[in-house]
Amino acid sequence: MLSLPLLKQSIKSNAVMWGSMTGVMTLLCIQFSSLDMTRSLLFTIFYGMMTTILPGIYVLVTANKLLASQVDRGSMAYVLSTPIKRSTVTFTQAFYLVNSLVLMFAIQTGAHLIVNNISPISFATLGLNMLKGDLTSKMIIQVNLSALMVCIALAAVCFMFSGVFSSSKYAVGLSGAFTGVSILANMLAMFGSLGVEGLDKFKYLTICTFYDYQSVLFSDSDWMVKMIFPIAIAVIAFGIGEIVFSKKDLPL
Amino acid sequence: MREIIRVNNMTKDYGDGRGIFDFNFAVNKGEVFGIVGTNGSGKTTTLRHLCGFLKPDSGSCTIAGLDCRKSRDKIMKNVGYVPGEIDFPDVGSGTSFLKIQAQFLGIKDKGYINELVNMFALDTDASLKRMSKGMKQKTALVAAFMSKPDILLLDEPSTGLDPLMRDTLIELILKEKQRGATVLMSSHIFKELDDTADRVLFIENGRQKDLINIRDLESEEHSSYRLGFKTEEEYQGFLSRTKMKVIHKNKEHLHIDIDVNSKLPDTLFDEISGYDIRYMKYKPFTLESYYTSVTEKGGKISA
Repeated sequence: MLSLPLLKQSIKSNAVMWGSMTGVMTLLCIQFSSLDMTRSLLFTIFYGMMTTILPGIYVLVTANKLLASQVDRGSMAYVLSTPIKRSTVTFTQAFYLVNSLVLMFAIQTGAHLIVNNISPISFATLGLNMLKGDLTSKMIIQVNLSALMVCIALAAVCFMFSGVFSSSKYAVGLSGAFTGVSILANMLAMFGSLGVEGLDKFKYLTICTFYDYQSVLFSDSDWMVKMIFPIAIAVIAFGIGEIVFSKKDLPL
Repeated sequence: MREIIRVNNMTKDYGDGRGIFDFNFAVNKGEVFGIVGTNGSGKTTTLRHLCGFLKPDSGSCTIAGLDCRKSRDKIMKNVGYVPGEIDFPDVGSGTSFLKIQAQFLGIKDKGYINELVNMFALDTDASLKRMSKGMKQKTALVAAFMSKPDILLLDEPSTGLDPLMRDTLIELILKEKQRGATVLMSSHIFKELDDTADRVLFIENGRQKDLINIRDLESEEHSSYRLGFKTEEEYQGFLSRTKMKVIHKNKEHLHIDIDVNSKLPDTLFDEISGYDIRYMKYKPFTLESYYTSVTEKGGKISA
């Protein structure tokens, strides 16, 4: 089901984008969790926005490159003129997309865990006065897990468009609209939760709603229940992308 | 001879008269089969069907008895394909592209790849993005030939190649044929088909027009000669008196192309004996002359 040469090719052709996004995300994480000036904003800005914006840009570009752009440019002909099933192609590309996100979050989470162990951040610093003590390693892992699931769902939807369309402009256009609206609505909803009236309704417009770091910090299990939805969206979207790609005509 | 590629009543309608309509032909094992047609006549569409990238609206095509669309992955074990549009995966240099392709095809022995690279004088260290058209084409050719496939599907394989490299390609195709490979190639360069093909299919506006055997073409009853005259009087005199068919005349250069019945070559010598001939040249009957003669005749090639 997995094609190693194709996986190698995908790693090679997406390395720059993956590397820079992972680097930026990790550095921002280190900055927000270690510098006194920005520590209080670790959750509002870094975990509130950056963990969806940066991977969002990454999946938007990468999902298109994995299928649609290769069909559009014609380079997919070289992959498909070898004894490889189309379903193996989609499976390998989806495998790459999901695992590159997992690795991206793993590196960033690792960096945060190290920083947090050296100088723990207290809830008081984060402005959460009703909670006592420090941010724990367990919470960091859980927050990132919750964010990762939503990013995988975003990736799956972009991948679906990439599999359905043979032209980059449609794949990027629709994925971009979807990712953009999701991230933007999430930001507006966040202002709503910070007290701006009316904006909280935006949470119904975005799948980022299923990413719930507050629930983790308050130690309830909401965030785990909410993970079911992005997982379901991911399974369905990857499925549609794979089925359409396997059946459609390819202008190669 | 055994049929290895079979196209049965295959139609793909893209609307507005574009596409291919009711294609029927078969390619025998070990044969070099050419497809000739103008741009947009359906050459690439035909090859894309054979590669299993497209599903015909009706009819079918098979390679070695397997449906091209349904069993693409099995068929591709024995097929090398040079696409009409060349754009490579984003993997950096030609070397890494060929390396990954070799892994896809499960090629362990790099000897033949290096042989091909040398044959085409290809600089594989160059970045794929910065390669010239010819370099890209050569890289695509190496990728298609390197697994020594039983079947080669080549979509205008000489695009962008210089004349010397075109000859190298022709040699390579002939070598592959000797090895027993079946080659199906589309082209609008008649020379390379003249030199390689056993049979040639003419297509026009998505319809099959004519299927000719190159060997029949060579043994055509008629052959043509070009006669160059010294003076205009001689030129005019010959024109007015000759009983042979004049195909083409040029007053500027004082030459006349005539059609001679191969079985009666004496007529030619009888007629020219009284004239001061500057030169006489045999014009081999090529695909091109066939193509122009039939297109000129009716404006269209007739089946």
